[in-house]
Amino acid sequence: MKAALLKRSEFYLLLVIVVFAAAITLVNPAFLTIENLFDLIRSSSGMAILAVGFFLVLLSGGIDISFPAVAIVAQYITVNSIIALGIDNLALAFAIAIAIGLAFGAVNAFFISVFRIPTLIVTLGTMNIFHGAMLEFVGTKAINAGQLPNCFKVFGLVEVLILPRGDGTFYGLSVFFLIILAVVLITWVILRFTVLGRVIYAMGGNPEAVKRSGFNLVRLQFFIYCYVGLLASVMGIMHVSLIRYSNATYIINSELLHVIAAVILGGASILGGTGTLTGTLLGVVMISILEKNLVMLGLSSFWQQFFVGLIIVLGVSITHLQKRLRERI
Amino acid sequence: MADAFLEARGISKAYEGVQALRDVSLSIGRGEIHCLVGENGSGKSTLIKIIGGVVEPDQGVVVIGGRPHSHLAAIDAIRQGIQIIYQDLSLYPNLSVAENISFNQFVERRTGFVSWKEMRAIAERGLAEIGESIDLEESVQNLSVAKRQIVAITRSLTQNARLIIMDEPTSAITREDVDHLFSVIARLKAKGISTLFISHKLNEIFEIAEVVTILRDGRKVGDFPTAELDDAKLTYLMTGQRIQYTPYKAPARTAVPLLEVRGLSRRGQFREVSFSLWPGEVLGLTGLIGSGRTELALALFGLNPPDSGQILLAGQAVRIRSPEDAGRLGIGYLPEDRLTQGLFIGQSIGDNIVVTVLKKLLGALGLLDPARRRKIEKRWLEELAIKAPSARVRAWSLSGGNQQRVVLAKWLATDPKVFILDGPTIGIDIASKQNIHEIIRALAERGIAIIIISDEIPEILHNCNRVLVMREGRLEKEIQEVSAVGETELLAVVGGRHGNGEDRS
Amino acid sequence: MNTKLSTNLTLLAILLVLTAVISLLLPGQFLTGRNFASMGRQFPEYGLLSLANMLAMITGGIDLSVTSVMSLSGVVSAQLLSRWESLPMSPALVILLGILLAFAVSAVCGLINGALIAYVRVPAIIATLGTQGLFLGIAIGITRGSGVGGFPDPFLFIGNGELAGVPMQFLIYLAVALLVGLLLTRTRQGFSMRMYGSSPLVSRFSGVNNEAVLMRTYLTTGLLAGAASIIVISGVNSIRPGYGSEYLLISVLIAILGGTDPAGGFGTALGLTLGIFILQVLQSGLNFLNFSPFFKKFMWGLLLVALMVFHHFRRRYSQRRAARLSAGEREPVAGQG
Repeated sequence: MKAALLKRSEFYLLLVIVVFAAAITLVNPAFLTIENLFDLIRSSSGMAILAVGFFLVLLSGGIDISFPAVAIVAQYITVNSIIALGIDNLALAFAIAIAIGLAFGAVNAFFISVFRIPTLIVTLGTMNIFHGAMLEFVGTKAINAGQLPNCFKVFGLVEVLILPRGDGTFYGLSVFFLIILAVVLITWVILRFTVLGRVIYAMGGNPEAVKRSGFNLVRLQFFIYCYVGLLASVMGIMHVSLIRYSNATYIINSELLHVIAAVILGGASILGGTGTLTGTLLGVVMISILEKNLVMLGLSSFWQQFFVGLIIVLGVSITHLQKRLRERI
Repeated sequence: MADAFLEARGISKAYEGVQALRDVSLSIGRGEIHCLVGENGSGKSTLIKIIGGVVEPDQGVVVIGGRPHSHLAAIDAIRQGIQIIYQDLSLYPNLSVAENISFNQFVERRTGFVSWKEMRAIAERGLAEIGESIDLEESVQNLSVAKRQIVAITRSLTQNARLIIMDEPTSAITREDVDHLFSVIARLKAKGISTLFISHKLNEIFEIAEVVTILRDGRKVGDFPTAELDDAKLTYLMTGQRIQYTPYKAPARTAVPLLEVRGLSRRGQFREVSFSLWPGEVLGLTGLIGSGRTELALALFGLNPPDSGQILLAGQAVRIRSPEDAGRLGIGYLPEDRLTQGLFIGQSIGDNIVVTVLKKLLGALGLLDPARRRKIEKRWLEELAIKAPSARVRAWSLSGGNQQRVVLAKWLATDPKVFILDGPTIGIDIASKQNIHEIIRALAERGIAIIIISDEIPEILHNCNRVLVMREGRLEKEIQEVSAVGETELLAVVGGRHGNGEDRS
Repeated sequence: MNTKLSTNLTLLAILLVLTAVISLLLPGQFLTGRNFASMGRQFPEYGLLSLANMLAMITGGIDLSVTSVMSLSGVVSAQLLSRWESLPMSPALVILLGILLAFAVSAVCGLINGALIAYVRVPAIIATLGTQGLFLGIAIGITRGSGVGGFPDPFLFIGNGELAGVPMQFLIYLAVALLVGLLLTRTRQGFSMRMYGSSPLVSRFSGVNNEAVLMRTYLTTGLLAGAASIIVISGVNSIRPGYGSEYLLISVLIAILGGTDPAGGFGTALGLTLGIFILQVLQSGLNFLNFSPFFKKFMWGLLLVALMVFHHFRRRYSQRRAARLSAGEREPVAGQG
């Protein structure tokens, strides 16, 4: 049991995170406080949701780079719709967003399964199609906190666990945590206990064999890409609720590479078939800490990007060196 | 046949104007071990696919258990108990043994949920039925080919197979594993499960099959009980030709051997291998898979550097650390698998040929000269009689025989002094096979030293003047003069069992 | 028919049709020297980066770090160039050193990419994903996020000048594209790149030094990014780290549009150039017709997907045709149908 644990790359990632956290705490004890942890969870929840979706696609042997576009498009259209409709209802907002997310996912799935176009290219194209269409036909006016419907603002503030600080004020664990929990749980159940989930793994291992087994591949691809779309749209709502600002050009530039880096650091293979949810979540934790807390190490903010890049390069180098040593060819 | 499990009646199928099968009928009895034999292009793969419902015939009907099926779908065939195990085994390398075995069952059920307990139970039961045992949690990618085959067969069993079809099951496993496989097939027979397998390994066919169906050019030549056949008769029926061979005699040896190998070792692969090779020789290197022959060849080619030992070329010790080195030293290697190792399948024939001799193409300003390139391409297309409209045609559009000639051309263009050919005629039709053998002989007569690695005893006998037999990494025996040895003798030396003095012939 | 030729002919046809349609819609406005000049000015900005990604894709990889390399080499070069007044040498020498510095930095970046991909065996998409952040991070660290500017006047000619009425940038792009085309069709490196991209395994079995090919490939992509940086900083007389980050995906898009197969083994400089022309014509036309830049994004995505669908049908057609042609000779080959 112990030997098996040591062989898993997630174990080493956990080790690295622990070391990192310890180092940061030494420099700045404010890091390892519950309040800071709650903060970390709140701010990284978006990345976590996106990472779970991306991980699913990667497992199946594909790659989807359109998810940030789906997130921002779903968000922007939903916010504008809610404002236009005048119905300040969170459930409605989610409904609109999820519908958009599913629709875009379906578009991706269509081109991938019917025309056999490589997934990278399809999603590269649809990313531009979705985002460009939205910018063109819906507009680019940013929505600030003043204009933002209340349902979002309230949502962003909901907390599920409230603890007191010393001075009479309170801080809490954002409801986003529950969302992450739900998403991770559902995804875990799907991947581990359903035929669909096992077929996703199988696709990553031998797509030809899956074809021969008679499983409906079109149905599979639709599920995978609609699922990512759904998760992305949920993230979009969470995002606007968190930062109380909806800018049509957000998310796309920042999240794509972070999510990919997080999932890869977590041990998933770019070719598909291997990886765990645990690893993905650890990867998100790692990237989040790097992104948001390096300043606590006393590092000049201007060198943070370099440091993050360095860690990623080192991280993937080690992962692949490990793989090479195991193969020895 | 009264108690036939499966009958194919009057099957015809054409693809894009090519008649793949012409009025072929086949009958497989319950519990029968049946072998389907034929050259490439004879239609055996197509027939298998029709029986399995993967392809629909233009004419004819498949009768299963007495019931005719005019439009057999793959899923119906599976439900009727027909399971095809393709050469690549269709396994999922990243999933466990238990999962692989039970996978198709869950897919079929469509209940949505999988139970890991049930998965294990299915796998255990399946393995027990054929008396096998493999670690259920092991990732299939960590298993040997032989064990993977067991997994594939077990998977078929769990889906209540009544007929298991295997496509070339023994091409990538060791002799011991072949024995093992045959004992599994025997156990299947005892359960009333029929086996249909495609093979070209004549000696193995004789060992296990009860009935042999021979196809030639899309037509059935006949069904024969194995007892009525022998090598010569089988070859004649498969090809319609009687092949006459004259044994090859090497020229007189030069003072210093062209290639000398001394005590070459690589842990886990081969140990203390020593031999010499003279110009004009055709040396056969044989032994069962797992004996280390390909690994040894790759060591000479720079892809598998040895841990210890020496390699000498024309008396000089050399280090071969990469195929680049090997090429520079005049050693060429025709790989085992031309599709994944020998050819850039999507590129043109011309590109494939010149990739090894780019230096020779350099002209003015150090750039590749198209005129020189066309000259080299033309030369080899002609010399090796590669049938293609031009050198710009893509490699995937050629037949197996022509493809192999392109790979030959690629290495001959480098003007090698030593040429190692690993399984040069695997999966190639008889006419091309003969042609390639003639090319090899012509090369030897020009003074090139050739090593042929082959499984097929007839090929060794008819082409080589000397044979080295490897077993489990060691050079077990050397036969100095092949023309003095008969086929039975050679078979006995090569196919001997481990630690068991039983004669195989 | 040769697939390279047919792809390029298709692109040429699309280009001609588009040009005809748009100039009909905008009589007198589109086919002017001024319009062509302005189109030509934007060419190298993503043209060079697209060439870079084409090369990476031909080897079956990708270079996500090109824009960061461009930033970094631009920033480093700018450090020298912006101080030209206080340096004890002639402006010409400063300019020369600045250019060499840009190339040196981008070469080092390229070699780092190459080493990760060739020796550590990190898949290209991941390696360059990491180095993208790394290089950009260094650029940000050096400039502390702000822009650098103020270069000697003669230097600005590169990005702004004209030779016989043709914008300098366009000429530079043409020269580089020609060199890249030459690299691909007439050098051992180019040939080996295509073969490696087709199959790294077969390449190794054919005696090709895979590692050297990869190192040289990414060295070249780095140098191309370095060249792009020189043109960019001379064009706007300043550099801000992170400039041009949106060009990354555009460069991949153009490479694919131009006929490069992301799986490896196929791609031409001519096709890529035609692809850029098509995009430029489209963009310019859309601008004239008062469509916003966002619509252009939408159109690019649409064009990419449409092209791939077209490729799909063409592949099916050519496979069926080949099967019919060599009927009787062939047996089923892996990878077909």
